[in-house]
Amino acid sequence: MPTAVDSSSSKKRKNTKNAGAPSSKRRAVAEEDGFAETLSKVQELENQIAESRKHYNNIATLISMLNVEPSAKKPELAVAVSLCRVFSRLMAAGNLSESSRDAENEKIVVAWLKERCSEYQRALLSIIREADSTSQVTALTLSMRLVKEYVTHIQGADSSIWSGLFKDIIEALVEAQDGEDVRAEFVTKFMKEYEDIRYQTFAQIAEYASTRRKTDTIEILISLLSTCDEAPSPDHEIDFENFFAKPDPNNKRLRTVHGHKRRAQDAWLAILRNNLSQAQRKALLRIMVHTIEPWFTRPELLMDFLTDSYNEGGATSLLALSGLFYLIQQKNLDYPQFYAKLYSLLDADLLHSKHRSRFFRLLNNFLASTHLPATLVASFIKRLSRLALNAPPSAIVVIVPFMYNLFKSHPTCTFTMHREIRDQKSAAEIESEGFEDPFDPNETDPTRTNAIESSIWEIETLQSHYHPNVAAIARIISEQFTKQAYSLEDFLDHTYQGMVQGELGTGEKPLRKVPVVEYQIPKRIFTDRLLEEDDGVDSGAGSFMRGLWDFSS
Amino acid sequence: MPPSQLKQLKASLRESGVVGPQQSKKQKRQNAKSGVGAQNRNQRNAALQAIRDRFNPFEIRPTATTSKFEATTRDVKSTKATGRRPGVTKSLGEERRRATLLQEMNSRNKVGGLVDRRFGENDPTMTPEERAAERFARESQKKMRKESMFNLEEDEEEFQLTHMGQSLTLDGTTVDDFDGGDLDGAESDEETSRKRKRFGEDDEDAEDFIDFGEDGEDKPERKKSKAEVMKEVIAKSKFHKAERQKAKEDDDDLREELDQELPDLFEALRGMKAPAKPEPPKQDLDTMNPERAAMLREPEGKDTEKEYDQRLKQLTFDTRSKPTDRTKTEEEKVEEEAKRLKKLEEDRLRRMRGEELSDEEEVESDKDSFFQGDEDEESEVDDAAAFGLHTTSYEPRPELAVEDEDDFIIDDDLVETRSNASLSLDGSDIEEEEISDEESEEEDELINGMTLPTANGAAVSTAVQVNQTADGQLAFTYPCPGNHAEFLEVTKDVPTQDLPTVIQRIRALHHPRLHADNKTKLGRFAEILVEHVSYMANETDEPSFAIIENILRHVHSLAKTHPINVAMAFRARLREISEDRPLNLLPGDLVILTGVSTVFPTSDHFHAVTTPAHLCLARFLGQCSLNSTSDFVTGAFATSLCLQYQAIAKRYMPEFINYTLNALCNLAPIELTAKKLSFPIRKSQQSVKLAPAKKVTPRKLQFRDVKATPSDSQAEEDLKISLVTTFVSLLDTASDLWAEKSAFIEIFTPVRTVLNHLRQSFKSKVFSAARDPLQSTLDKVDAHLARAQLARRPLFLHNHRPLAIKSAIPKFEENFNPDKHYDPDRERAEANRLKAEYKREKKGAMRELRKDASFVAREKLREKKERDAEYEKKYKRLIAEIQSEEGRAANEYEREKRGRQGKR
Repeated sequence: MPTAVDSSSSKKRKNTKNAGAPSSKRRAVAEEDGFAETLSKVQELENQIAESRKHYNNIATLISMLNVEPSAKKPELAVAVSLCRVFSRLMAAGNLSESSRDAENEKIVVAWLKERCSEYQRALLSIIREADSTSQVTALTLSMRLVKEYVTHIQGADSSIWSGLFKDIIEALVEAQDGEDVRAEFVTKFMKEYEDIRYQTFAQIAEYASTRRKTDTIEILISLLSTCDEAPSPDHEIDFENFFAKPDPNNKRLRTVHGHKRRAQDAWLAILRNNLSQAQRKALLRIMVHTIEPWFTRPELLMDFLTDSYNEGGATSLLALSGLFYLIQQKNLDYPQFYAKLYSLLDADLLHSKHRSRFFRLLNNFLASTHLPATLVASFIKRLSRLALNAPPSAIVVIVPFMYNLFKSHPTCTFTMHREIRDQKSAAEIESEGFEDPFDPNETDPTRTNAIESSIWEIETLQSHYHPNVAAIARIISEQFTKQAYSLEDFLDHTYQGMVQGELGTGEKPLRKVPVVEYQIPKRIFTDRLLEEDDGVDSGAGSFMRGLWDFSS
Repeated sequence: MPPSQLKQLKASLRESGVVGPQQSKKQKRQNAKSGVGAQNRNQRNAALQAIRDRFNPFEIRPTATTSKFEATTRDVKSTKATGRRPGVTKSLGEERRRATLLQEMNSRNKVGGLVDRRFGENDPTMTPEERAAERFARESQKKMRKESMFNLEEDEEEFQLTHMGQSLTLDGTTVDDFDGGDLDGAESDEETSRKRKRFGEDDEDAEDFIDFGEDGEDKPERKKSKAEVMKEVIAKSKFHKAERQKAKEDDDDLREELDQELPDLFEALRGMKAPAKPEPPKQDLDTMNPERAAMLREPEGKDTEKEYDQRLKQLTFDTRSKPTDRTKTEEEKVEEEAKRLKKLEEDRLRRMRGEELSDEEEVESDKDSFFQGDEDEESEVDDAAAFGLHTTSYEPRPELAVEDEDDFIIDDDLVETRSNASLSLDGSDIEEEEISDEESEEEDELINGMTLPTANGAAVSTAVQVNQTADGQLAFTYPCPGNHAEFLEVTKDVPTQDLPTVIQRIRALHHPRLHADNKTKLGRFAEILVEHVSYMANETDEPSFAIIENILRHVHSLAKTHPINVAMAFRARLREISEDRPLNLLPGDLVILTGVSTVFPTSDHFHAVTTPAHLCLARFLGQCSLNSTSDFVTGAFATSLCLQYQAIAKRYMPEFINYTLNALCNLAPIELTAKKLSFPIRKSQQSVKLAPAKKVTPRKLQFRDVKATPSDSQAEEDLKISLVTTFVSLLDTASDLWAEKSAFIEIFTPVRTVLNHLRQSFKSKVFSAARDPLQSTLDKVDAHLARAQLARRPLFLHNHRPLAIKSAIPKFEENFNPDKHYDPDRERAEANRLKAEYKREKKGAMRELRKDASFVAREKLREKKERDAEYEKKYKRLIAEIQSEEGRAANEYEREKRGRQGKR
């Protein structure tokens, strides 16, 4: 132990020296001297405590040396480390646990020591809350060490320490100022490392989040929880060897995967019930399927949250969809009017939203069943084709192959592409008055829109889209349907940027063929040059622009 | 059951004639004499060997697999082969190796040696007599060859065969049992037959000679030697020949004489005299080609004929002259021009329609290349024609009714005549040239009544004056810049309005005809000009559009000769836009996009420049920010460009509708409160609502509005109302453009909603100026909508012929051969064939090498054994010698001992 202490203290010294950045040599020397002095003093005090009990008062001295006043931003870490060692030794020696056999004065000493110990703990917690990040990390390590010592050496302190000191630690962590570093440290060094720490953390967070908290705090909690993205599989063995502290043999929950999941579920539920901001809600929905749901032993508990989110509309609905689908698929959730709701999601903003491809993946799942009524599928087709009229090319590129697949699996819908009027009377009527579109865009029930009676003129119009490739894709609906299905995944993730880059390439590459140049050089582009030659009537190319814009300066 | 082995053997012996009826003694003797015996012996040996082989079952190796059933895929070759004879092949190989490899082995590490070239020495089939005869025959042949007529040293014998020191020659006096005539017969048949021909039948002597040669009998009365006879014969034949020739010539002369007299004879026969032949028409000669006349005039003779032949030959090799084009009349020119334009227009329409995507599979499977534009392959075909038209820069340009920037560059003829000298011209000369060019252009202009397209600077009324003064200051030569910085350096001191002149001069000075490098230089220059256009619009606050327009037209004319360079330059600009500021277009970018619309055909289905330009515009419209009025001005310009792009092709642009409607909604004085709109609403962060205090009057939007901020609120409101009217008129045009689209109703119903809303919110008096155009647009849209409703029909897209069900009948091959590979891929089949051959050869070579090695090893072993045996023998001999010696000595000793004992 002493060697370790020496090395750590020397390390500390170096750190402080480096951090100090002295302006002059002399001052540096003085500081060095002062520091060395403190260090030797601390060492001396510590040694005295170890030697005999009569020097226990040194503990109080050390604690006072800790310098953890709210104003002092720079706690003496060396002292803290030394104190931790002192208390560890005391605990290991059994000096901190009282037994009934002990004499009265002995009990007093123990009580006094316990008081000092809790004082020290408070100091550490306040360091975690307020000090700079290196001190925070050190304090966290020290307090976790204390937790371990408690659990190891003091009988029966198990539950009390988790709900006492550890709870305080978690709280301090969550409420710490600029605590990203210390939280990351906690997550990597403890939470991911030790399964019992994770278990206890879940428990503490659940308790902590059961009361309404500020949005920022919730944010922190979410980020803490979402780091545990891998829920243990049911046949996973909880590794006792890998526990931070010796587990309580009576605590059965700690030994089962179910127990762990249960804790996590409680924690998540507590957070979901708390007041979430819109952004947080979306973030949660985004990680719902992959991060949150695996932890839930009873996913139906998520139902309320998801349905609420789904009913909210807009992007939140889109995001809630995947979680809801999970429930419907896995947990047999009965969601009445699901398709009507889905249909209502197809609004003007959908194709411009950044969740477009996510939505289409799901939509592809929902409409994959061949048992859906053709009227419903036709409504979706018609609605999508309406939307395509105002969609960016990257969305049209998705919609058309998707429709193709729908047509392929619901051949009844192909009437929207090809309708022969056999009834003479109605044919004549159409001939004279034009075909009235029977589709009702305002109908919310997808089975009643009459879309199957309509035609998808929109896609036909898009066959003359300005982008040649989009036009080519739109043309597939008027060709023979020889292909079995298009793989939707290939069409999903296109963007303007990608398309422009596809056309222009990233660097100078020789063109595959010589581009055609307009054969006629226009007389005028911007100005009214030589207008009198054409009798003052500007009719050449670009006359439209010149008519609208004044280029004279 | 087959007969026993013994019986079979007997039968086969009889068959091959090894055993047969005994020959009589006489026969035997005869046979021995004529050498038939030896032959018979050989035959007999061969027959016996064959029989031995046949009856030795170990000599023939049966096929590995006994034949079982006939099947198509069975290898026919292996079944056909009845069995190999490994013994035979092995011994053959052994033999061959002994002949080659063993020789090599033995002669290894040895230099020189003797080669036995004696005739028939190594031929065991020859008897010694035959051998001698053969040698003698060869020898005499050699000698005969020496007697050829070019052999000068006839008599000298280099070497000759001798017998007992006496020469074996024929012409010697020695009498030999060999006869010379017999030897003569050894001459090749060819020679004798030749001789026979030469001598002919009439020559008695020769006949005799031949007889004598053939008979091989001696003629005692012969006096002359053979050589003498020959000489005589030759002399005689020569004499005869000369005589024959003479007689023939005499005959010819006589015949000619007769021929000449023939006409007279005819006359005599007819009994009357023909009139004198008319003289050749002399007067013609004067009008004729003098040469020809001379030719005609010349007396008939060899020279004339020769010359005639020569000329004829010349004429046949002369290229046929073609009729030159007639100078065309004005009408024809116009018509031609019209035709050309029509063709170009048709090409454009074809490109506009584009071709359908070749195959959807490719689209789907090959995603990377998907957005490269698969239809390239397709459009390649129809572009070819246009491509040819645009890139042939040296083709004389037909005079355009449309004035062209190229017209003013340099008169082609002028350049042509001076092109050789111009490279070494000094500056002043070039200046002179320039001036003369200018003058000639001036003249042209006057003659044609056209103004110079350059218009010498800004196209303002005072241009001429400005230019005159400017010309005095401007240098006449400019280096061709290599990049934009250089160009800026060059034009640093040039006033902006003179920029076109400078550009024109650079182009003239670096006309591709003047130097080979100029083509690339001008290409680079075109790129610089493109860059400069955007630079000008960006850098200068008030860009002069007359100048930009002029530069763009220069770019356009350069694009005809350097389409790649210009396209690359435009693409570079577009790339810059898409990478740096896709949602924040600068004025320069707008100018570039406008330039694209004039230089390149925006109606093309796919085009290397216009397609990305479309995307850039659409992306801007789809995603740009809507924060201030200047944003809307840029947007208005972009939307106008969209319609300009689609003026011909009339393709649908969703972004246009979205942007325009959004802009109108944002600018409308009252917010639109419709629940459901088919387009996504984007709200501007700052309110740009029209909120005029007093009457606003819409005006024509100006390009500089893109940059400038309105001075006061009234000006801003004016700008806003002008934006509204611009957008409304854009919608007006768009409704015309897309009136034929099948989804016109779906597209323009929201437009009508927005316009209606606008009309309602424009009730206030302050908007009175904007109300009329709005109303007229609304009416137009309504009319279009009504027409579209009337024209609407259910879609009828799939009246394809039903697809044929795929045939499942397998393709049968007539005369299928399992050994043959029926690979439809010719190249692969060929490759496979070569591979198989290679494998086979390799195997064979390896086998041979292995056998060689074993042969060598065997030979070495044999040699070693021989050596060992020899040694052993020697050793034994020595031992024996010693033993015998010792034995003798022992005997002697014994004897001695015994003797001594005996003595004792």
